[in-house]
Amino acid sequence: MIRRFLKPRVVQDSGAALGADTPDNGHVRLEDDHTRALEVGRARLIVTSAMFSLAFAVIAGRMVDVSLFKHVAPRPQARHQTELTFERADIVDRNGVLLATSLPTQSLYARPHEIRDPADAARRVAQVLPELNPTELKAKLASDRSFIYLRRNLTPEQVYDINALGIPGLYFEQGEKRIYPQGDVTAHVVGLTDLDDKGIAGAEKSFENELRNRHDPLQLSIDVRVQTILHTELEQTIADFHAIGGTALVMDVRTGELMGMVSLPDFNPNNLSTATPVAMFNRATLGVYEMGSTFKLFNTAAALDYGTATINTLYDVSHPLKIARFTIHDYEPEHHPISVADILRVSSNIGSARMAIDMGVDRQKAFLGRFGMMKPTTVELPELGWPLYPKDWREVNLMTIAFGHGMAVTPLHVVTGVSALVNGGTFHPATILKRNPGDPIPGEQVIKPETSELMRQLMRLVVTDGTGGKADVPGYLVGGKTGTAEKNGAGGYHHKQLLSSFIAAFPITDPRYVVLVMVDQPQGNKESFGFATGGWTAAPCAGRIISRMAPLLDIEPRGSMEPLKVLKARAAREAKANGTLNGEETLNGVE
Amino acid sequence: MSGEKLHFRFSRSEMSLREKLWQISWSYVALISLVCCIGFFTLYSAANGSIDPWADRQMMRFAVGMLVMLGVALVDIRAWMRWSYGLYAMALVLLVAVQLHGSVGMGAQRWIDLGFIQIQPSEIMKIAMVLALARYFHGASYQDVGRPLFLLPPLAMVFLPVGLVLKQPDLGTAMMLTLASGAMFFLVGVRLWKFALLLTMGGAVIPVAWRFMREYQRQRILTFLNPESDPLGAGYHILQSKIALGSGGLFGKGFMLGTQSHLNFLPEKQTDFIFTMLAEEWGMVGGVVLLALYTLILVYGYALSLRSRNQFGRLVGLGLTTTFFLYVFINIAMVMGLVPVVGVPLPLISYGGTAMLTLLFGFGLILSVHIHRDVIIGRRGASEDI
Repeated sequence: MIRRFLKPRVVQDSGAALGADTPDNGHVRLEDDHTRALEVGRARLIVTSAMFSLAFAVIAGRMVDVSLFKHVAPRPQARHQTELTFERADIVDRNGVLLATSLPTQSLYARPHEIRDPADAARRVAQVLPELNPTELKAKLASDRSFIYLRRNLTPEQVYDINALGIPGLYFEQGEKRIYPQGDVTAHVVGLTDLDDKGIAGAEKSFENELRNRHDPLQLSIDVRVQTILHTELEQTIADFHAIGGTALVMDVRTGELMGMVSLPDFNPNNLSTATPVAMFNRATLGVYEMGSTFKLFNTAAALDYGTATINTLYDVSHPLKIARFTIHDYEPEHHPISVADILRVSSNIGSARMAIDMGVDRQKAFLGRFGMMKPTTVELPELGWPLYPKDWREVNLMTIAFGHGMAVTPLHVVTGVSALVNGGTFHPATILKRNPGDPIPGEQVIKPETSELMRQLMRLVVTDGTGGKADVPGYLVGGKTGTAEKNGAGGYHHKQLLSSFIAAFPITDPRYVVLVMVDQPQGNKESFGFATGGWTAAPCAGRIISRMAPLLDIEPRGSMEPLKVLKARAAREAKANGTLNGEETLNGVE
Repeated sequence: MSGEKLHFRFSRSEMSLREKLWQISWSYVALISLVCCIGFFTLYSAANGSIDPWADRQMMRFAVGMLVMLGVALVDIRAWMRWSYGLYAMALVLLVAVQLHGSVGMGAQRWIDLGFIQIQPSEIMKIAMVLALARYFHGASYQDVGRPLFLLPPLAMVFLPVGLVLKQPDLGTAMMLTLASGAMFFLVGVRLWKFALLLTMGGAVIPVAWRFMREYQRQRILTFLNPESDPLGAGYHILQSKIALGSGGLFGKGFMLGTQSHLNFLPEKQTDFIFTMLAEEWGMVGGVVLLALYTLILVYGYALSLRSRNQFGRLVGLGLTTTFFLYVFINIAMVMGLVPVVGVPLPLISYGGTAMLTLLFGFGLILSVHIHRDVIIGRRGASEDI
């Protein structure tokens, strides 16, 4: 079509080709010049038209191409993902917070006989990994061994840099590194793995096979929030009283689940070198201690449960009790007979011993056996301490064990036992695994519910009117028992080396949790007026722990108002809601 | 066109207004109006079935533009020739003025506000440059064109405004000015080796130019070379455009049913990417029909221009038609990912007042060229005739 338009006109116009002169300008021109201009003009028009047509053909073609053939650029797709699988499953807390996980890493190793120039290689590797000593590196690279690790767990960047060196004989081993996001807070519960990713402590060791076989995370009963509270408060208490260590535990009394368990000193599981034997020692489950006065709870419960005494039975505590070569004293002797309740309240050793005498060895032994005190706890940890008790359980043992000496158990034994004392009398074995709703909860009735009820009242009494006043938290009805034991070392008991503890249950009317705080060798300070006993060291710590954790665990404060005030307030509220003006009458009626 | 022979006269310079109106190629005008109407419908759809805010204003501009076009068509071609250098000088001054104080629109200094109307000097330059070049080459003989020195003034005439436009920065307009004037140089017979020389020099300049380019211009070129490299950033326009085109298929999704455009995946759907929207709704068939209409306008433009008996008219007609071709080609090629995204509107359809006015003004000139096709203009200009 274009051509039809162009050609005739150009010719008709007689020399009016583009680029040529118009024919009527009157100038003399060479004929061939004119013809040439004509030809050039025509040719160029055709070329131009052709180019335009071509351009249009191109876009028309592209149009067809884009709209009909659906090869729209493929969406950038994520690279083919293979499911990341690790040798070990993750460990999470009861709320799913990560406690331990695995990261893929690469470890650098060498086959020394493949390295041509060890000196040069050592120098260059040391440039990338400055923490390696070039001299040692050279020695390693020049050694006769066929395989030698140079450094474990390199970052991807370091791997890249090493590869960029292009040194033959250097290789990477794929592996994984265990990471503990909570660090030392969960150190003793979760434990840690060694260089070969094998569990060497805590849950990492006890669940070694399970962790390697399962894919979903292993869920512990620990609550990281509670764990953190225990850790900070215990650390503070140890610092305040210059103690050498301590432990703190929280147990759900209805299930036996450990909500938190801290033992200090501890270690950073991300750094194997901090895991010294001292730091790795778990005082809560492995350490066995003569617990002192907290043991009186069991003694009292046994007497009440067996019926060898009632809460009002009076015992004479005015004179120290002599048995064999021992003499049993009270710290603050009373000079008149006191009741069972008072024996616990003022923590009388003499009274406790007398109660035990009425009970007898066999019953005491059987009672403690029912509470699991004669064998290690069954908690799922490798670090379990064997209780120490007399092989030959004589009367003297009967009497000392009554107030917590002559028998050593782990703090976990005490926590588990006290849980049974306050929860209505059911002994739930301790566990660090989360019990999901509906799971069967193993339990055994070990004392009568009535005894448990009495024990709760007695424990509350200790806090309101006895030695444990510093553990009280307004609104949370804390009940408990202090304990101060002299540590037994070479050459007998040391008066200045104490093991101060406090065991608490709250809210005491219907206990949910038992908290144990134990401080090893605290020194009295100004605020405690030089005292280092459980009531001055561990009890305030337990109180702080409860005041922080109770709101977190949704425990409603109560008892903070007088019943009468509560009623009055309610009446006023109702009157207001009803829109009546006779609120005064209602109030009066209530009063 | 059937009556041309009947109306033939030796001189058309003394045509009456009525005769001129009769001479207007009304089929050409109808064709242009048809394309504009397609534009109104598309803008109506782009606003999700609302005449506001785009279609109504565009129609108003079209009405004004139509009057301007007819007015321009009736003005004697010799007058346009007389005013061509003046127009060019004015456009150049405005370009400089916009550099000094223009309002910044969409990140570029392209507009100058005269109070009652905002004008884009670079658009005026598209027409003024064609007029000026046509005037310059009007009296040039084949030998003149062969002399390098003769070519220096027109080269300066091209590169001065191109430089200013590039500085705005407006890559699209600069490209159009360069290509349109290049086509004119080619048509008047500038020797091929000179083009080759210029291209070589241009090639050598690229690395230098790259350094002076704005980051966004570089980005556009890089993105053009590989749009998938940045699907969420600079490559977003092109990818979305291609997806929309592909989603249209053969017959499209139907009027006002384009998902990509109506759900706002497609950017600038009422302006630069309107072709994509149209093609999504009307499919490949719709797109090809529009292309055919454009082709018809182009062919008409060339045909009308070539009937002119004076060199100036022919060059003006060819230059303007070429400019129109470049509008169409660059825009469509751009939305289909054949050239970088440079911000050239789809002529007669994209929303925008200046472009519409410029185009209709240009069509008016082509009509004027056609009406005054038998006017003989002497070598030195308008004074020699009659």
